[in-house]
Amino acid sequence: MVELMGRAIGMGWPVLLMLVGLLLYFQASISDPVKKKRASFQTLIGILCAFLAFMAISNYAHNFHGESRLLPVSLVMITVMSFIMGLYFPNISALMKIGGFMFFVAAALSGYGNWLPQVEGGFPPPVVKLDFQSMSAQQLGDEGEKIIFGGIGQSKTQGAIGKGQCPLCHGFQQGFLSERAPNLYGIPDRSPERLKEPNYHMNDAAARPSEQKEAFAGSGTATNGQEYIAESHSCPSCYVVPGFGVKGSNDTVSPMPKIHKPPISLTLGELAAVDTWMYTREGKEAPTYDEIVASYEKFIPEADRPAEGGEEEKGGAGGNILADGSEPHDKLFMKAGCPACHTIPGIEGATGKVGPLLMEGSNAPERIKDPNYKGKAKSPKEYITESILNPSAYVVKDFPDNQMPKDFGVRLTGGALNKIVDYLAQLKEGQPLPPKE
Amino acid sequence: MGRLFIQMTRGKKKLFAAMALMVMGGLLLLPIFLSVTAVASGGGAPAGGPPADVVAAQKEGAEGEEKKVEMGRDVYYKTEGPAIGMPAPITADNETFYPRYNFESRVLLWVANQQHLYYGSFVLAVPIFCMCIEFAGMVSKDKAMAKKYDQLAYDFIKISLTAYSLTAILGGILIFTFLTLYPAFFGYLSGIFRPVMHIYALMFVAESGTLYIYYYGWDKMREGVMKWVHLSMSVILNVIGTVLMFLANSWIGFMMSPAGVDEQGRYLGNIWHVLHTALWNPLNVHRILGNMAFGGGVVAAYAAYRFLSSKTDEERAHYDWMGYIAMSLGVAFLIPLPFAGYWLMREVYAYRQQMGITLMGGLLAWLFIIQATMIGILFLTTNYYLWQALGRMTGGERFQKYIKYLVFILVCGLLVFITPHTIVMTPAELKAMGGQQHPVLGNYGVMSAKNGGINAIIMTTILSFIWYQRGNRVPTVSWAKFGNIFMGCFFVIGQLNNIWLACYGYFIPANVRIGLSVPQVAGTLSCLLLMTPLNLAMLKGARPLGPIQWGKIAPRSQYALIMLATAFTWMMGLMGYIRSSVRLFWHVNEVMRDNSPWAYTHTIGFAANVISFNVLFFWISIMFVFWLGTLGAKKVPVPSTAGQPVPSPQPATGH
Repeated sequence: MVELMGRAIGMGWPVLLMLVGLLLYFQASISDPVKKKRASFQTLIGILCAFLAFMAISNYAHNFHGESRLLPVSLVMITVMSFIMGLYFPNISALMKIGGFMFFVAAALSGYGNWLPQVEGGFPPPVVKLDFQSMSAQQLGDEGEKIIFGGIGQSKTQGAIGKGQCPLCHGFQQGFLSERAPNLYGIPDRSPERLKEPNYHMNDAAARPSEQKEAFAGSGTATNGQEYIAESHSCPSCYVVPGFGVKGSNDTVSPMPKIHKPPISLTLGELAAVDTWMYTREGKEAPTYDEIVASYEKFIPEADRPAEGGEEEKGGAGGNILADGSEPHDKLFMKAGCPACHTIPGIEGATGKVGPLLMEGSNAPERIKDPNYKGKAKSPKEYITESILNPSAYVVKDFPDNQMPKDFGVRLTGGALNKIVDYLAQLKEGQPLPPKE
Repeated sequence: MGRLFIQMTRGKKKLFAAMALMVMGGLLLLPIFLSVTAVASGGGAPAGGPPADVVAAQKEGAEGEEKKVEMGRDVYYKTEGPAIGMPAPITADNETFYPRYNFESRVLLWVANQQHLYYGSFVLAVPIFCMCIEFAGMVSKDKAMAKKYDQLAYDFIKISLTAYSLTAILGGILIFTFLTLYPAFFGYLSGIFRPVMHIYALMFVAESGTLYIYYYGWDKMREGVMKWVHLSMSVILNVIGTVLMFLANSWIGFMMSPAGVDEQGRYLGNIWHVLHTALWNPLNVHRILGNMAFGGGVVAAYAAYRFLSSKTDEERAHYDWMGYIAMSLGVAFLIPLPFAGYWLMREVYAYRQQMGITLMGGLLAWLFIIQATMIGILFLTTNYYLWQALGRMTGGERFQKYIKYLVFILVCGLLVFITPHTIVMTPAELKAMGGQQHPVLGNYGVMSAKNGGINAIIMTTILSFIWYQRGNRVPTVSWAKFGNIFMGCFFVIGQLNNIWLACYGYFIPANVRIGLSVPQVAGTLSCLLLMTPLNLAMLKGARPLGPIQWGKIAPRSQYALIMLATAFTWMMGLMGYIRSSVRLFWHVNEVMRDNSPWAYTHTIGFAANVISFNVLFFWISIMFVFWLGTLGAKKVPVPSTAGQPVPSPQPATGH
């Protein structure tokens, strides 16, 4: 306060000095004691008001860019000043009262704005053009780690997940239990071995027991380790590692989505980065960029290859958020990663078999009534929200616990969660699909 | 014979007046025709694109040469066109693209823009009022009333005249600010809009000319046919003003939802596409209504100021009446404003859903809660003024005992209206709450409930207006009893329908719930469009309980007018900020990126402080304009008629 008063005097001393001079002048120039008393009193009021005004201006100027939310206080000070002036200066009474009232209204509204939770939009993410082809193996590997886990060095973080969404099902660390899909540690050495498996049928795709024999007509089978990896990404059902097929399919169908297709849609450059990381992180020499791309070109026809945008938005606000709810339904579910494990009626590409079918308009009321249900939900929407934020609150029969990531609460915005819950709650057996954006 | 001669002379005069009017209108609109012809003949290529290229392209087409013109695809209309403009500049954070003072350039531009906009809105709105009031005076059979209306229209235009020159000065300051602080951005925009900029400048000249003739010719054209010519001039004035505003709106429409350019921002040769963007029309409608409501607020505040500083009963009576008329006009345009806003938002969602969500459910959502609060405040204040105004009528006290019930409905409606539902929050907040619903508020605050809140408020305001109209009169038509019962039932059913739909919305999915707004709004509009005329019909030949005692209103009512004006000015600043902020880090959405150090969005508190500064700056400056108005009036000689005492100085009476 003392500091503020000091600043006010520093700012307004010429005016204050002039008013003091005026006060002294009135003492000498007015002979009528009544008039002199009145003039002196009014000048004193003037000095007080001027001081108050300078305090207000000083406070406003000093805090303009600061975090302090006290700027409306300046407006209150001027309100007080105006009303004092209105009281003691009858000639301008109406003007000062009106002015004071306006300052009061502005102070109240400004104060309201400062009282609400403060949200600031961050700087825009810089656009970085990624040229995978000219990257070194190390750089390519780093980009691959970002695609799989969301950041460099994130591969050791529990629950870290990137655009590729691989950790939803795959384990990547040695000895890590991976129930839904094979642990990918050691894949550079293991992949050539897979070609010798009895069900693989190298160079004889027609003999395969799987539902889909080859990636596309005439693509053939892999003939080396890198091609095996490329085929697994682009045609997961062409060969299913024993024990990891869709339940009841006798390992003829894989629950894994095609990585170059929605919902994940990795480009060939991104796939090359992912593969390079899997080699380099084990200290193995990775095939060259061109070799990896060529291996994918063998299994992905040109028309199916996602466009090489080559642009990535880095950093910025909300970099850890999967989706913010502004996306259309298909894209929202895709970004949240749900289709990788769940079948969701009406959502493009959502044919995952790892988790239960999400017909929640019908399922949720039944589950809330289930005696085994120990959650807190009382309505279908609450149940769905709970299942997303805390998947272990109730585990659907025949599906294992601890499979679904538990960090959706910090990876989805309120808007995204609301939109997902709204859509799922409308899915009912025997009823038409809800409208989508 | 003599009568025939007089009739012929009158007929000639009418013909002459009509011809003069047409010539004048033609001359004033000539710049538009000339510019449009120039654009159509290819002269409208923006500065950004070398005209030689256009000529070359045309020659190629004519001569059938194989040399190719680079074609571009319109980002909005998806049509192909020759890319004759330069691409939008890719800026960087340096002094070349963003020269600066030791202060945030964006805030400087914000203040300059907002001040220009406030004055621009005011001077565009006031002539529309003048036109309506002058017309009301001309068709009024009561001569005293006609004179009063004429005087009021003159008072209005006089206030706007000083404001008009300030608008031009502020426009100049705005352009200098643009050129000084954002040269690359302004260069690009002026390149795209070059032909329209010239039209804009010429229209401004036409507007000035018409305004001055309209104002200074008031006395010369006060009788007979010339009065109609004078009124017609106000029509021309408003047409020019509206076109001016539409052109200015096309800039912001282009910045929000660009069209007529390709992905690189290159102009594709079709100026209509550049103007007619996705959001242009809704912005135009919203701004016309907004300007009118704002203009009404400013004039009402002026009247309130003059009322409070009046020394005589005559002055008080005049300014009380003026304040009432201005407030009524302002509120009349305030009522449809939310519907125009709804249309604008719907178009925003249709253009870019992400933009709509950033506005209503994302980064800027809290600002809409402030807006909701302010709309509530505006309606509460309007009601308060009307209840106070009942006090100047004999018989108005009949309604006083019911006001507490209206207060109850209004407060309940406001509380529901400002309850947030889904608000952007940090992931940590989301987790702490255990979901997107607040632990206390839960599911409250869904859109149908909010709509219910605001519709209840609007319906109550309509009822207050009807009571005000009946303040000192008792219906005497034979069906008065039936009319009263019908009207009462209509309002009750309207409110019940509104409340029922508000509650029903909780039991249906969100996408179906949105549709409830239609029957809710229909109920409110029915009350407005059916009950107000019904009331007027019932009041035909009504038994008066006493005259309206203009000037005998409590001074606190005038503070309600000032509150209305200040809150409206604040809301205008707020909504302008929201509309501009929604582009986030784009100068021109998805075409020209903002790479200045101020490309982020400020906090709500900071924005609220700058808005308050803008509001107060405007009001301090307009007070100065008001004061200038009183100076001019004091110098005008008071017409002295024989046998009449010279009245005390009445600032708004001389012309």
